[in-house]
Amino acid sequence: MRRALGVGIVVLMAVAFAPAARGQGGRGGGAPSPTKDLPFDAHDFSGVWTGRGNMGMAPPMTPWAKAKYDAAKPGLSARGVPLGNDPMMACDPVGYPRIAFYNAYPMEFLQTKDRLVEFFDYFYVHRTIYLDGRPLPADPDPSWYGYSVGHWDGNTLVVETNGFNERSWVDNDGHPHSDEMKLEERFQRVDHDTIQSTMTLTDPKAYTAPWTGMKSTWTLTTKLAMREDVCVPSDEEKYKEEMRVPAGTAPSAK
Amino acid sequence: MKGVLIKSLIGAAILMALSASLPAHHGSRVSYDLTKQITMKGVVTEYQYQNPHIYIMYDVKDESGNVAHWGAETNSPIVQARWGWDKHTLKPGDEITVTVYPSKVGSTRGYLSKLVTPDGKVTNLSAPEQ
Repeated sequence: MRRALGVGIVVLMAVAFAPAARGQGGRGGGAPSPTKDLPFDAHDFSGVWTGRGNMGMAPPMTPWAKAKYDAAKPGLSARGVPLGNDPMMACDPVGYPRIAFYNAYPMEFLQTKDRLVEFFDYFYVHRTIYLDGRPLPADPDPSWYGYSVGHWDGNTLVVETNGFNERSWVDNDGHPHSDEMKLEERFQRVDHDTIQSTMTLTDPKAYTAPWTGMKSTWTLTTKLAMREDVCVPSDEEKYKEEMRVPAGTAPSAK
Repeated sequence: MKGVLIKSLIGAAILMALSASLPAHHGSRVSYDLTKQITMKGVVTEYQYQNPHIYIMYDVKDESGNVAHWGAETNSPIVQARWGWDKHTLKPGDEITVTVYPSKVGSTRGYLSKLVTPDGKVTNLSAPEQ
């Protein structure tokens, strides 16, 4: 009887802490992947990946950033309001790095010898990382997804990005960034099925210190496919009229 | 007792995994009362199978014959595929049993919690993350 209880407790712990159970949805209940231990090329990221990421904690904001943060009205709880002004709801581009943390949707890396293209299923957008040795532009035009260059440091791909506009939110909570934002990311394919990445965001106009601690684990998926996912302004309007506004509007007195 | 404990741990882990993966922008959690659920029978008038959220418009008739026009929303088509939904899942005229988290202000709108389609298939959904 005591031994059975002991086994039961071990099973309970295994289930509670099974990483697959907290994972992204594509994988099964803890069985090892048949491809994880296959040989792989550490310099080749090609494939469809599901991400699991964490943005860590934002550093203290400058007064400029705090004003923008206070004006942002997310659709998210804690600060969430029923309609809000999240630019995503008007189908404005999600921007980078925010899109990299939308882990419900897969991402595809398409790689040639001089470019790595990161194609996000969410909003069906891509960013290009140039691998041909070019430097970051000194005075780039502002953009939603930035200008990225990457170089190999052993088996780590170091990606630097600048050239951002000031339009997108860094996260769902409405943290802003300025056009001075620069990102440094490090990607490493650690086994056949796994890429680990870290990101440091530096933006002295918005934050008094670098925003560190952003990290993601990308897992090769055979279950999730890339599917067209577009944001359609007219459909956002229709959804808002038929669902969103009525949901938040009390019926008139009888 | 042990079996129930294991099952509820598995259930909790699955719920955590699913809710952690749902995208957030429209403030679904903010508009709907996640502590209540209402179940009703209705007839589909619209099946809006597109972004940003799938939503179903349906009519609910009470005993006196009064018709209330309801709307229930759920995930985007890509996310909803995990529950096996596609363009054929519903059509106008279908008789459905709907369970929703209702609007906090009492309007005839809700966030879908459970749906029973005419073929008897049941979809159980987790609460909106955001």
